[in-house]
Amino acid sequence: MENALLIGLSRQMALGQELDIIANNVANIDTTGFKADNAQFGEYLMSHASDQTFNGPDRRVSFVQDRLSWTDLSPGAIQHTGNPLDVAIDGNAFLVVQTARGQRYTRNGALTINGSGQLVTGAGDQVVGDGGPITFQSTDHDVVISSNGIITVREGNSTVDASRGKLQLVSFDQPQLLQKDGGSTFAAPDGTNANPAGPNIRVVQGAIEKSNVNGVTEMARMIAITRSYTDIANILQQQSEQRRNALSQLSQTPTSS
Amino acid sequence: MRALDTAATGMAAMDLQVQVIAGNIANMSTTGFKSQRAEFQDLIYEHVQRIGAQASDQGNILPVGIDLGSGVKTVGTPRLMTQGSISQTGNTLDVAIQGDGWFKIQLPDGTFSYTRDGSFQQDAQGRIVTAEGNVVQPAITIPANSTGLTINNQGQVSVTLAGSTTSTILGQFTITRFANNAGLQANGDNLFTVTAASGTAQDTLAGTDGAGTLLQGSLEQSNVEAVTEISNLIAAQRAYEMNSKVITAADEMLQTTSQLMR
Repeated sequence: MENALLIGLSRQMALGQELDIIANNVANIDTTGFKADNAQFGEYLMSHASDQTFNGPDRRVSFVQDRLSWTDLSPGAIQHTGNPLDVAIDGNAFLVVQTARGQRYTRNGALTINGSGQLVTGAGDQVVGDGGPITFQSTDHDVVISSNGIITVREGNSTVDASRGKLQLVSFDQPQLLQKDGGSTFAAPDGTNANPAGPNIRVVQGAIEKSNVNGVTEMARMIAITRSYTDIANILQQQSEQRRNALSQLSQTPTSS
Repeated sequence: MRALDTAATGMAAMDLQVQVIAGNIANMSTTGFKSQRAEFQDLIYEHVQRIGAQASDQGNILPVGIDLGSGVKTVGTPRLMTQGSISQTGNTLDVAIQGDGWFKIQLPDGTFSYTRDGSFQQDAQGRIVTAEGNVVQPAITIPANSTGLTINNQGQVSVTLAGSTTSTILGQFTITRFANNAGLQANGDNLFTVTAASGTAQDTLAGTDGAGTLLQGSLEQSNVEAVTEISNLIAAQRAYEMNSKVITAADEMLQTTSQLMR
């Protein structure tokens, strides 16, 4: 009798967590370079104390367990902004940024220049180039970022291009191991190697990658969650009703006539 | 239920997005206005089950974890410092900057501000001032009875004095550049002030050291693009609605739970 209650509870807790993930996706529907999360649940078989020796052996009880949340790394839509320091990455690669917590990887290419002329993200973290931080001179203008990430400028009254470095682009053999670290960044756990991005990765200047959250999918998933949550609540209620009936009927002692 | 708080951060972010869009649209025909954009990032994650944690005594590790995010935050509202379109006005004291750089303006308290709005006037003493009466640096006084005011593309102001046939140079506008234009702080009245993020002001002259050139008789229009703003507005409004639906869903689930106990 208790099992039905506990199984229902395990499902409701999992659904609650899935709604948390959807809430985070929807909240970040307009966050540059954001990647949607998904929850996946598994069956947990309780195998203890079962008896197989009788004709009708005990069935094993299966609970719901939240196995994992996985990040959908598919590309988001590319929006043209016209800002010369916005870059979108076309292909499966990441920009490298230096944060206070160490090197992090991001698809958020809304970059800017800080007071000391360095190329930084919106949160102020340095963007790592192939030769360290990318620094601009105060007289630089007409910034051009080529499709392979080379940054050139015109310095002062000069009529020839001057190079300011190359954006470091990395890709991962197992990008699903990357862990979200807030601020639209990912952390690479130990054992994952960042490889230089392949030749088919393209940098698009003057554009940013929008969030890849699909509003329709999230809303549909949300409806399914609330419905199954209610369904389970109904089952639990029926169980409790059943038990109440059993108790009241079984406890009726026959009256002596 | 965490979803309630998470969705609330989403609604707050979209509210700010609409405010920024409203500011841009309201300034669609403000001279020298630079459009703003709200920039968002995701908030910290709770790693309920960490990637790479040991899963069994045999040393298997978890290939994936459970990460629960806690919403969205605004990191900034940077300005898009692109050139606005140039419109001809024919007014001799209207000046537009083509390219990078700012006009340097002295405020009544003696501090300096910077503007791209070149709709200048003459005050009672003949000085070139902004529409609010602040003196454009360096102070250039136009003598009375002079004619043929010319501002060349390097910012040199020259006039023909009364009784003379040749023009006299009165002065040259200072053009100021910054390492990070987007780091300037907007103070209203089309004026910007220097901050730690913008880098120090570098005074130079038009057409040198990467500074733009000047164009007399023209004004720089706002760089707000109506189509972009309206499509962003639609997206922000829908995103706001979706976040409110998440709150409704979380509320329904809580309600279901509370109805269980009777």
